[in-house]
Amino acid sequence: MPDLTKSHEDVLADTDVTPAERVLEVRDLRVHFDTPAGIVKAVDGVNWHVDAGETLAIVGESGSGKSVSAMTILGLVPSPPATFPSGEVRLHGRSLLDLPESQQRKLRGNDIAMIFQDPLTALNPVFRVGDQIAEMVRVHQKVSKAAANKKAIDLLAEVGIPNPNTRARQYPHEFSGGMRQRAMIAMALANDPKVLLADEPTTALDVTVQAQIMLLLEELQQRRNTAIVLITHDLGLVASHADRIAVMYAGRIVETGTTDEIFAAPRHAYTYGLLSSLARMDHARPAKLEPIPGQPPSLSRVPAGCAFHPRCAFATDACTAEIPELLPMAPGSGHLHACIHPGSVAEALAAPKEVAPSAERSATTGKAPVVEVTDLVKHFPIR
Amino acid sequence: MGKFILRRIGQAALVVLAATLLVFLGTFALGDPFASTGDRQVSPAVAEQNRAIFGLDKPLPVQYLTYVGNLATGNLGVEYDQRRPVADMLIEVLPNTARLAIVAIIIDILIGVIAGIIAAVKRYSFVDVLVTVTSTIAIGVPTFVLAVIFLAYLSGWGPFPVVPRPFGSEVPWYQEVLLPAFTLAIVDAAFVARLMRGSMLEVLRADYIRTARAKGLSERTVIGKHALRNSIIPVVTYVGVSLGGLLGGALITETIFQYNGVGYLLYRAIGGNNVPIIAAVVIFAVLAFVLLSLIVDILYAFLDPRIRLE
Amino acid sequence: MTTLPPPPDAHPSEAGQGRTPPTETTGDPDAVHPSGALDQRAVSAVEAKTPATRKQKRSGSPSAMADIWNRYKRNKLAVIGLVAVAVILLMAIFQPLITPYDPFEQNLYNTTAPPDGDHILGTDVLGRDMFSALVYGARLAMVVGIGTMLMSAIVGVSFGALAGYRKGLADTLTMRFTDILLAFPLLVGAILVVRIFGQGVLPVAIALVVFGWPTSARLMRGQTLALRESEYVEAARSIGASDTRIVIRHILPNAIAPVVVYAFTSVGVVIVAMAALSFLGVGVPADVPEWGRLISQSYSFIRVPGSEHLWLAPAIAIVITTLAFAFVADGLRDALDPKLRGGN
Repeated sequence: MPDLTKSHEDVLADTDVTPAERVLEVRDLRVHFDTPAGIVKAVDGVNWHVDAGETLAIVGESGSGKSVSAMTILGLVPSPPATFPSGEVRLHGRSLLDLPESQQRKLRGNDIAMIFQDPLTALNPVFRVGDQIAEMVRVHQKVSKAAANKKAIDLLAEVGIPNPNTRARQYPHEFSGGMRQRAMIAMALANDPKVLLADEPTTALDVTVQAQIMLLLEELQQRRNTAIVLITHDLGLVASHADRIAVMYAGRIVETGTTDEIFAAPRHAYTYGLLSSLARMDHARPAKLEPIPGQPPSLSRVPAGCAFHPRCAFATDACTAEIPELLPMAPGSGHLHACIHPGSVAEALAAPKEVAPSAERSATTGKAPVVEVTDLVKHFPIR
Repeated sequence: MGKFILRRIGQAALVVLAATLLVFLGTFALGDPFASTGDRQVSPAVAEQNRAIFGLDKPLPVQYLTYVGNLATGNLGVEYDQRRPVADMLIEVLPNTARLAIVAIIIDILIGVIAGIIAAVKRYSFVDVLVTVTSTIAIGVPTFVLAVIFLAYLSGWGPFPVVPRPFGSEVPWYQEVLLPAFTLAIVDAAFVARLMRGSMLEVLRADYIRTARAKGLSERTVIGKHALRNSIIPVVTYVGVSLGGLLGGALITETIFQYNGVGYLLYRAIGGNNVPIIAAVVIFAVLAFVLLSLIVDILYAFLDPRIRLE
Repeated sequence: MTTLPPPPDAHPSEAGQGRTPPTETTGDPDAVHPSGALDQRAVSAVEAKTPATRKQKRSGSPSAMADIWNRYKRNKLAVIGLVAVAVILLMAIFQPLITPYDPFEQNLYNTTAPPDGDHILGTDVLGRDMFSALVYGARLAMVVGIGTMLMSAIVGVSFGALAGYRKGLADTLTMRFTDILLAFPLLVGAILVVRIFGQGVLPVAIALVVFGWPTSARLMRGQTLALRESEYVEAARSIGASDTRIVIRHILPNAIAPVVVYAFTSVGVVIVAMAALSFLGVGVPADVPEWGRLISQSYSFIRVPGSEHLWLAPAIAIVITTLAFAFVADGLRDALDPKLRGGN
């Protein structure tokens, strides 16, 4: 029973057997929702961990339960209607789920911080940006208002926002999309958290801005040795910025390993499907895109056995029998998958691909152009 | 921001001016006050003379300009019955209406806002159900029906004084204002509670509330600071407009309780077709409403920084 | 002009006659979505609808109507309201057949009689059968209420669409005009109009339309302003559709929802306003059994025990009718609101 008189540093000091750099560990987490439509198994037996200074990417489609697992770590999932039939979340070995609310609050924004998808709606529109960051500081550190404001300005500078003094006094709607996300990152890092949960941090941004933000996260990670959990559906992002990947489907992890392992040698049919639907710029003659047929299942009616089998090209009857366990590819390997036909996947991977039709078309057809644009100029007055 | 305020003031002035024109034209449509009406037999020559005294024989535009000029200098003319200056009559009853309006709004806010917040935060609780049900019913009850019921059963009960006031008795203003204020406030509080509840529910669903919780803020701070600041905005607008209306005189409520305010003055003036009073009160009501709307608009811009860009 | 939410009708203090319940979300207690800090995307997985199975629907098409009706049915209050409205309408339409007595027939030998075998609701101050008077009042309320609502809606939508789509001068003029009308105290304005045109049902209706259309116009304008930037409008313009066609076929069906919701609410407002006018003695003529009139005529009997039926019956009639329309409006709002459609 946690001692409520302890300060939060003491709470974390009671570490368990797990290695000290293992910052965050999730074991067998289940989060079920009681709804009129039935029991929704948003998270159904999930295991992952992230160490200091590394980036774990949790990949999956919308509705695969990835966000819910992150929210559970922060204790932000309201308990009716959610229930937690099983599972442990450990921060530096200390269990989080059974902590009372007051203790959990001490960790939020302090040891574990989260940034969200849409920075415009995630920031309070009626308060100044600087004030919101300063608030983050003052909740967890005993500093004066002036000191907190100064810290806020410093943070804004650290995330690359020019004129931080002026910017701190502005409101969120006066920032551009990329700047807002930088501000959110600044806010999240205000108390130097051990883990940063990033829920689709770049989905709402332009592609060029996406790259900037991810670069920023990398810099900050190197500087502060933060563990980052990157929740995303964007495999391209994952390829360039994640150290390890956990692939989620229908509330379960179906494959996990290092980025190289997953991209070079996927062993679960779903992972393979995801990779095949990716357009690859690095192939001279790009392969034809193979989307995964069908739709992800409703989490209140997950198919029996392997949840992916209705859409799987390699499925057999055995796949419906029981839920495959997440097992290492080879003893001692960090590459785990939950597919009983890894061989079929490996075969399909090695087989030569059909070439995309557009790659074979030549540049010109020799006919007269339908529309021709010459020297077009369009100006917009700025009021 | 300054430009915004100036523009709004300009619009407000325009509206008031247009209102004076409409009222001015309307007074003519209400008929010639000097012709014979029922028990007032007037010979045409006398009527003509009276008209000249009141300047009613001059061409229309001149009359209008004189009218506006008079209004601007606070000359509201004299009323038909006893030739008393309308301005004096108005000033006499204005404080009563002001007190009524302010007391009503205070009760309104206290009940409505607090009930709305509790109902939203503790959803499905007893308070929530109570608020939802009573506010739903209260919407359908017109204020004059409620006034009649209160008059029937609450007059003389508890703190409420007896209405109509017995001849010769003196009732302090804070007692006299209670019953009409309560009537006005109850129904409006129902709207405020619904509005507050709905607004708060919507705000509580917002992403920035999730962010606030993720920061580790206490639930009290999340609701009392982050949620409230956002959800109170439409309520402020509504209450402000309500106050503007109340200041113009709650016609029916004041009349039913015989509360000597602007509304009651208007009611008696309508009965006697006392046009100068009607005109003056209407213009005053429009002015009060427009002024309050202006204040509300400016307040809104203070509360919601996104608006300031316009 | 700042983008304020549509203001409630001028002077809400005027005994509720000029009041609009603000167009806010009441938070449907039957909502399927758990509320609170829950991740919306996690919740979206709860809904069984998947994009592939959802048919392409235009608003106004038969399956869209069925959708709306299904959503409407979920709100029990709204269904009750609809039933009540239907009952009141039927009573109004079949009034000559239902009323046992002529509502206008006065019997000065039997005034203010309590309910008994002959008169189920007793008689009123002038000896009229209360029940018949009430039913006739319902007829009046329906005619004026719905008539005014339709006229206000038509005028309001036209001006609002014009202002919102054309912008510029048309917009400014319309906005200033509605400003002025909205600044007028509703009751007083109506009184003036009735005084000018004389007493009777038609002047009352005209007065209420004059002061009622601005709110619809404001709503429509707001919607039009927002929707004219939509991509489908842009697409229609790019294929050469005329302005009128765009407004009528593309913007109107999508903009109409809040206007419809307000229209239903306004029926209650109109009925109350008419009752208030009659209560003041300015409205329908004195011998017409209108609900507000009935209340004012029983004013002196307020505290006389045994005569509660005199004012209670019409008061309850007003309350029930207003509530019924308000419930229907609430239900419509929830049913037409795409945000509550579930799924992504």
